[in-house]
Amino acid sequence: MPANVARREILKCGSAAFALAAVVGTPRAASAAPSGSIGDLYQAAKREGELTWYTAHCDDATAQAVGHGFEALYPGIRVSVMRTTAQVAFQRVSQELKAGALQVDVLSSSDVGHYAWLKERKLLERFEPENAGKVLDAYQHYDPDGYYFVTAAALVGMASNTARVRQGEAPRNWSELADPKWKDRIAVGHPGFSGYVGIWAVMMRKLYGWRFFESLASNNPQIGRSINDAITLLNAGERSLAATALVGTAAESAQKGNPLAMIYPSDGTVLILAPTGIVKGVRHPNAARLFVEYLLSVEASRIWADRFFEPIRPEVAPSAGVKSGREIKTIRPSAEEIVRGIPEVTRQWRDTFGV
Amino acid sequence: MAGHLRCLIADRLRRFEPGVLLCLALIAVLVFLVAGPMVRLLISSVQETETGRLTLANYRDAYGSLHCLRALVNSLKLGLGVAFLAGVLGIPIAWAVSRTDMPAKSFVRFMVLGAFIIPPYLGAIGWILLAGPNSGWLNRAWMSLAGTDHGVFNIYSMTGLIVVVGLSSFPFVFVATNSALDLVSSEMEDAANILGAGALRTTIRVTLPVVLPAILGGLIVSFLEAIALFGAPAMIALPARFHVVATQLWQFFEYPARVEEAAAYSLPLLLITVLMLWLQRVLTGRRGYIAVTGKGGERRMVRLGRWRWGMLLYALVVAALSLLLPVSVLLHAAFAKAWGRGFSLGNLTLGNFRYLLYEQSQAQQAIVNTFLYAGASAFVAIGLSLAAAYVVSRRLVRWSNSLDLLCMAPLVIPGIVLAIGFYSAYAAPPFALYGSAVIMILAFTVRFLPIAYTSTSAGLRSINPEVEEAVRILGGSRLTAIARVLAPLLKRSLAGAWIMVFIAAARELSTAILLVTPDTRVISVVLLDLSEEGNFEVLAALGTILLAVSMAIAAVGSRVIGRDFMLHRG
Repeated sequence: MPANVARREILKCGSAAFALAAVVGTPRAASAAPSGSIGDLYQAAKREGELTWYTAHCDDATAQAVGHGFEALYPGIRVSVMRTTAQVAFQRVSQELKAGALQVDVLSSSDVGHYAWLKERKLLERFEPENAGKVLDAYQHYDPDGYYFVTAAALVGMASNTARVRQGEAPRNWSELADPKWKDRIAVGHPGFSGYVGIWAVMMRKLYGWRFFESLASNNPQIGRSINDAITLLNAGERSLAATALVGTAAESAQKGNPLAMIYPSDGTVLILAPTGIVKGVRHPNAARLFVEYLLSVEASRIWADRFFEPIRPEVAPSAGVKSGREIKTIRPSAEEIVRGIPEVTRQWRDTFGV
Repeated sequence: MAGHLRCLIADRLRRFEPGVLLCLALIAVLVFLVAGPMVRLLISSVQETETGRLTLANYRDAYGSLHCLRALVNSLKLGLGVAFLAGVLGIPIAWAVSRTDMPAKSFVRFMVLGAFIIPPYLGAIGWILLAGPNSGWLNRAWMSLAGTDHGVFNIYSMTGLIVVVGLSSFPFVFVATNSALDLVSSEMEDAANILGAGALRTTIRVTLPVVLPAILGGLIVSFLEAIALFGAPAMIALPARFHVVATQLWQFFEYPARVEEAAAYSLPLLLITVLMLWLQRVLTGRRGYIAVTGKGGERRMVRLGRWRWGMLLYALVVAALSLLLPVSVLLHAAFAKAWGRGFSLGNLTLGNFRYLLYEQSQAQQAIVNTFLYAGASAFVAIGLSLAAAYVVSRRLVRWSNSLDLLCMAPLVIPGIVLAIGFYSAYAAPPFALYGSAVIMILAFTVRFLPIAYTSTSAGLRSINPEVEEAVRILGGSRLTAIARVLAPLLKRSLAGAWIMVFIAAARELSTAILLVTPDTRVISVVLLDLSEEGNFEVLAALGTILLAVSMAIAAVGSRVIGRDFMLHRG
């Protein structure tokens, strides 16, 4: 972590020369001296020189850090990071496919339905990353045919603004969100934008039926777009309880001095497996493959853990600042339930909430 | 017979001018840019998504749902509310600046110009920070003053949206009213006074009715701007739980994208616009307003007495709401570690700018793109409209009026509809413009062509053709005349038009939103993406950069062009 922070600071100064020196200076660079097929891939990728990564897996700052991590590890390849919500990312990809002008290289949507749709139309590239077999068992073989891979994992719980919610007052499980005492105090993302919120909604519907959302609606939550929007509303003091809180974003925000407390519901924190794939016919196929290898690497897992996300590599310990999925009760819908469920809950959501 | 024909052709050829060729080329370009996307949009709206077969299903699907109809009603409510508010804010100030002895007029004018430059989506963010129900500065101030735990303002409502958009579009009404009032002489007012009417009665019964067409024109423009907006509704209407047409249109691009349905759904927006502009033309074209035909006559200022301070106060309140308050909270957020923490030295930072310029892999490129595209489209728009205006005003060909129509047509096309048209027509092969800077520049060019055309043609009309004829009699070609005589004479109005287009294009969101790709992103779109996760500090920093550049360019403009800059529309 110290080496990483230092690198971030140096990059902030905007001096490429210093950044390069720091990379050469870290012991990690030695292990990164690419060998074998990843080394060949690096050479081919370097000739392509750049890649574009659409990601909905995390907030903008984390995404930029992951991108810079790749650039430091593989000098000579520039990563253009497009952070947006899952549905907007996919909207862009489908526009590009329709126009026959692909801009995306690596797609990290959080909605597995997008990959199912692409795979069905034979629009995904199939390849076997060397690192695919090295991640924790729970994250392997997400797609049995090897078209997309879990490259990030995240927990969705609740969060409260500790200046406005007394200790002991906070809900202990999801169904308490229906309590009238939360009227006008809840913030939530939108499944029509955020893939994480979509998966959460599918899970909640599975646990408690659509009634859950009808009671939520009677508490008049403020609806944002991204899942991260809920945390912003808490920080601002606009609302006091986030019904959808990405642990990583919330913890990072708390670290900055915002009065936030995570809530891990007793009926289960939603574990999200966030997949990544390469669309067929991209402009930088080798750089794209190398980037997927990187997302599955120990180096990337370290950055994710620094930013309070779940590391997917067993070598990397979860951050001490947050609870990990390895120690608490987690729940998650199956891939098929997500594929089928997200369009359904989005429709139902629009009927119940009006937007 | 054959000889006769040969003679005729020879005759034609002798009289043939390069001007005709230019004219043909011009029409081809304008058809490609303006008519092409719209025709494509119409065709798409009756096509099946996968097969391209003819169908009316898109219309059935687009209007069959209650959500879509409700969004349409909301857009109309928004438009009417905004037009009303813009009138209430704009007309009195325009009257005071033009016809009364209100003090500090040039300062007020300057404030209105400033409000003009703020894009509605930045105004929306400013007002979210000001009037968020629990966290907004105004509400917090109220809560600590009144000792309650509830704020009084709720930005997340239809009223909130109307206020935000109204505050950013009242300058349209101001400009229209002000420039018409500047042309009215005091004679009729004097007559009313002699017959015993007081100042107030004269203003309401005589002065304002005379400029009514201009006022209506301004109101219609603000109505149209309001129903075509995307950014401000996306940030305010969504949390307020309603949709407008533009945000609903966006949904059609969700997976699986239904461009055809979007095309069908966007047509009423187009129809409303055409209807409104037709209405405006009918109203302003009416005879009987000869009082507004020229600058003759004496103009005396109405003495307001003590009321002039009241009037100034009103103007300052409007300036505070539309410009000073939102800009100060934006600036505060841009330099704050966390805007919710308030004003303190410990909360000050340059980190947001540093993040944008050095860490964020998109912002830097987006800033360069924004000003590059805005500059390029301003040049293209001016070039096209100068050529078209020349052909039209000198009647080089008989059907030159079609050029006039083509240049003004984009006025009826809301940005997001134009983008859908451009996307359907030119994104895919054979043109394959998707992802290129060209499609962005062309779309901006078309969107703001009417602005450029109006001011260049007004400039041209003011120049007597004799000046040019003198050159030709002395043996100079038409091109010499244009380059050496007309262009220098037009310098100021061309510069003014360039700046107008530049500022409008630099802030444009709704045209860009569907056409951008990672390499061609512009500031407005990055701002929208940042707003998705509520990243207000970084967002405000980027907004500050946009505003700073726009204001600098506008300042240069008003320096070069003088008082009339941006405040006189043709």
